[in-house]
Amino acid sequence: MVLVLLAAGVYFYKEYNRKPADISNVEPAASSGATALVELYESDEAKANQQYLGKAIEVTGAIDEINNQQDTLVNVMVGESSSMHKVSCLLDNRYVASIRNYRVGQQIIIRGICTGYLMDVEMNRCVIIEKK
Amino acid sequence: MKNIRISIFFAIILSTIISAAGLAQTRYFTKTGKITFNSRSPMENIEAINNKVVSIWDVASGQIEFSVLMKSFEFEKALMQEHFNENYVESDKYPKAIFKGTIENSNALDLTVDRSITVKVNGNLTMHGVTRPVSTTALITVKNKAIAASTSFSIALADYKISIPSLVADKINKKITITVNIPDYQLVVKK
Repeated sequence: MVLVLLAAGVYFYKEYNRKPADISNVEPAASSGATALVELYESDEAKANQQYLGKAIEVTGAIDEINNQQDTLVNVMVGESSSMHKVSCLLDNRYVASIRNYRVGQQIIIRGICTGYLMDVEMNRCVIIEKK
Repeated sequence: MKNIRISIFFAIILSTIISAAGLAQTRYFTKTGKITFNSRSPMENIEAINNKVVSIWDVASGQIEFSVLMKSFEFEKALMQEHFNENYVESDKYPKAIFKGTIENSNALDLTVDRSITVKVNGNLTMHGVTRPVSTTALITVKNKAIAASTSFSIALADYKISIPSLVADKINKKITITVNIPDYQLVVKK
């Protein structure tokens, strides 16, 4: 009985203090080209949300911009520079250094949580995926 | 017939002048605003941060808008973030929150001189499918031609039909403080 209570206690304590998942350890629910993802959101936001909202997705495309935000954050815009809308990827703070090997115009694979569509398709907690 | 042609000609000229005047507006825009919300209670302090705030401010009319995605709020603890999205704000059903309002006397503001200005902002906040009026003061800071803005106000969860289960009621304040911080408004149109 004491053991059961103890186990339950440990479980609740761990569950309560659980940190948001490191996306590099999360299997993506879908993958898409950046341009195709933007086009889907532009044409039918509700349908795109049904498919992608809140899910870990992997996006492939060319880097359009790399921006520093508030000193410590790094945001990577992926997509066609001619398009008004892109995929806006806010990097997980633990992985901001990994962008150093990349330049604007280069292809990149980014995995993150799709949080929806404002001016761009938004992704949070992003990590760069290196394919071997 | 000729008169009609002339009047059409003048109508075109006139409409061109009007639309040119309409373009001669100063607009500021950002995609990198930050909104933080805080719930303080004796049991627990909860904070969430959203670094993807989109805002546009039309200086002449004073109209100002903010949009955020509810799922872009990041919490320290995963369980809180899940409860926030699934049970409280139901972000699958209501993915965005939008504020539309007006800055009082916006067109009279001199944004060319370095200084801080306190302004009044009135408008409507739509969240969780509910629209409610919000009035607050904001601070606009001009420094080396860069424009920043910040404000803070509190909302009652009940006003937005967000109900907190009694089990966790003592951990979540019924009034939430929302802090808005726009570090860098970009000038988009000026003629």
